[in-house]
Amino acid sequence: MTSLVNQQPHSEAIGYSFSQSTHAPNKQHSFYPYTDNGGSTLGITGADFAILAGDTRSVAGYNINSRYAPKVFKIGGDDETGEGAHILLSVVGFAADGHALKERLDAVVKMYKYQHGKPMSVRACAQRLSTILYQKRFFPYYVHAILAGLDEEGTGALYSYDPVGSYEREQCRAAGSAASLIMPFLDNQVNFKNQYIPGSGEGHALEPKKAGPLPRSTVEQLVRDAFTSAVERHIEVGDGLQMMVITANGIEEIYTPLKQD
Amino acid sequence: MNHFPESWGRPRDDIYGTYNPAYLQSTGPKAHTQSPAVTGTSVIAVKFNGGVAIAADNLASYGSLARFTDVKRLRKFSDTAVVGFSGDVSDMQYMDRLLESIDIRENYSTHGNMLNAKNLHTYLSKVLYKRRSEFNPLWNHILVVGFDGDKKPFLSSADLLGTTYSAPHLATGFGAHLAVPILRRLFPEDRPTEDITKEDAVKALRECLKVLWYRDARSLDKYSLAIITEEGVEIKEDQRLENQSWAFAETIRGYGAQVV
Amino acid sequence: MSSPFDINGGACVAMVGKDCVAIACDLRLGMQALTVSNNFPKLFNFGPSTFLGLTGLATDVSTVSDLFRYKVNMYRLREERNIAPQTLANLVSSSLYEKRFGPFFVSPVVAGVNYTTGKPFICGFDSIGCIDFAKDFIVSGTASEQLFGTCEGLWEPDMSPDDLFETISQALLSAVDRDALSGWGAQVYIIEKDKVTKRLLKGRQD
Repeated sequence: MTSLVNQQPHSEAIGYSFSQSTHAPNKQHSFYPYTDNGGSTLGITGADFAILAGDTRSVAGYNINSRYAPKVFKIGGDDETGEGAHILLSVVGFAADGHALKERLDAVVKMYKYQHGKPMSVRACAQRLSTILYQKRFFPYYVHAILAGLDEEGTGALYSYDPVGSYEREQCRAAGSAASLIMPFLDNQVNFKNQYIPGSGEGHALEPKKAGPLPRSTVEQLVRDAFTSAVERHIEVGDGLQMMVITANGIEEIYTPLKQD
Repeated sequence: MNHFPESWGRPRDDIYGTYNPAYLQSTGPKAHTQSPAVTGTSVIAVKFNGGVAIAADNLASYGSLARFTDVKRLRKFSDTAVVGFSGDVSDMQYMDRLLESIDIRENYSTHGNMLNAKNLHTYLSKVLYKRRSEFNPLWNHILVVGFDGDKKPFLSSADLLGTTYSAPHLATGFGAHLAVPILRRLFPEDRPTEDITKEDAVKALRECLKVLWYRDARSLDKYSLAIITEEGVEIKEDQRLENQSWAFAETIRGYGAQVV
Repeated sequence: MSSPFDINGGACVAMVGKDCVAIACDLRLGMQALTVSNNFPKLFNFGPSTFLGLTGLATDVSTVSDLFRYKVNMYRLREERNIAPQTLANLVSSSLYEKRFGPFFVSPVVAGVNYTTGKPFICGFDSIGCIDFAKDFIVSGTASEQLFGTCEGLWEPDMSPDDLFETISQALLSAVDRDALSGWGAQVYIIEKDKVTKRLLKGRQD
């Protein structure tokens, strides 16, 4: 007899003789427009090249959707294959937004070339990408983007973004689900953070090891090491490693398998 | 006996818990599809040498009710592609209408219908992505099969969020849990799809549908199967699962006949 | 409400080398984002070559370390010998599981060299005593994700005590520099069969 016990005192309001309301607040099961497709990306620059890499696993919860779903794209190519592109973009997070963002930036870079008769500089493209992201400030593209190319001097350029368009040029950056695993490793091995020159002094006089551009072979190996490490400890990372290397000669794509477990 | 009129004709609170009057609500803010109503379950597909095979059962459920048992969820698009729909059936019919109008428009155009499965997948995924961006999603997860621009077998998926991905074999819904592991075991992804014969692919799909019929409560033993090759599309509707073995049920408490 | 494990911050890591182990921790004690102390070691000695590292809620770090000091002292009096790292591991596990439904919010790490066999030993636990017997390294604390990354990238088998010190130090310092709740100096113990070396690392003070 719960309803007897739960009777509220009768109110003065005109209406039914019973007090229990037949109306309740609207039940709202709202549609959530995002999902996380996992994975990680990583970019490192050198003196005359930039590398952008990402694993190729796509997940939904604990399910693996696909073992080959690329996250690194050529931007501003002449055809579907991306031939003739001079900018790279990696997107990690919500894959559908990532794909939409890539398509938009690709169209922008192509239109720039048609309208100005010259390829868009990486610096300009970086600023434009920030604007595109910020335009959706209140319904963001849920992605961490990294843009890579060669700057006006021909040195490697890398720009990293947050989902709403804050960006910064950097030497190296990891993004995605295993970013927190990869980033401190990169600090140590690329920027030589916490490394000192042995015997250079005592206490504060001890000289930090200077970070400089690394040769391509070293960088490639660091990328492989970073990803094989991430694969060991993060379930959303694995299956394949897609590396794109941009040099003055164009873009080279390297695919190597990663563990599938 | 409960004497309060508000509880007359309603499930008893002391047995069924407090009645939720929200169900009586008929007015309120404009509601988009916030949840699907009549739904179709898994669609499964696999690539083989020279084509793609796709299958889905013929059931449209209304919650746990097996509402319509003769719903064709595979749609042929002008001899070049097949789309398999899971999720909301009314949204499927809407997308079907979109495809129909494209097909008609293309066939009246001077160049004829040149859209391949890849084009179709791009189109449908953009429709889905646009609708999710308007917070008015088409509540479907679809598989598109056929051939791409290079005449290579094509198989790709798109869901209500606009997420797309492709693999040598794909499944939606429960199939992602039950069918994909079977398909991955039968046809390892590192083996080229050229090694898979049409017969093997079809046999595997039938086997997967059987497993789904055993374990997915929203599935049916009547299904449709489509095979798309260079020669065209072959759709077999009204197929029935054969050689069922419910022996495993005996070992499950509450499923078989045993009481203890 | 934030997790009790993340209120005070802190990091701890242990690694195996050739006939040696290393265990290290940061020195920060905070209250959410505010640093309260930069001298809060999280490593505790329980015998000539047996160490326990504790990260998590600082009050529980103190309580649990005191509790094990008591328990290990009682063990030493009863048995008239030092506790082996393996034994300490089982003691930690069973003691934590006693509090299964009202746990201490700590993530312990045990590291040591067994004084009879001379074999290095490390292991880690969750807050209710499930043991993780690792052959390479154990991490814990708010910087555990970062530590997983650095350790997985830097660690290699059969390192000498000197190499092990360099590796664990680089792994810890790089990891805590990417965690706002850990850092402010570090302590490293290199444990060999009959020698323990303690080193203090300055690290970034921010």
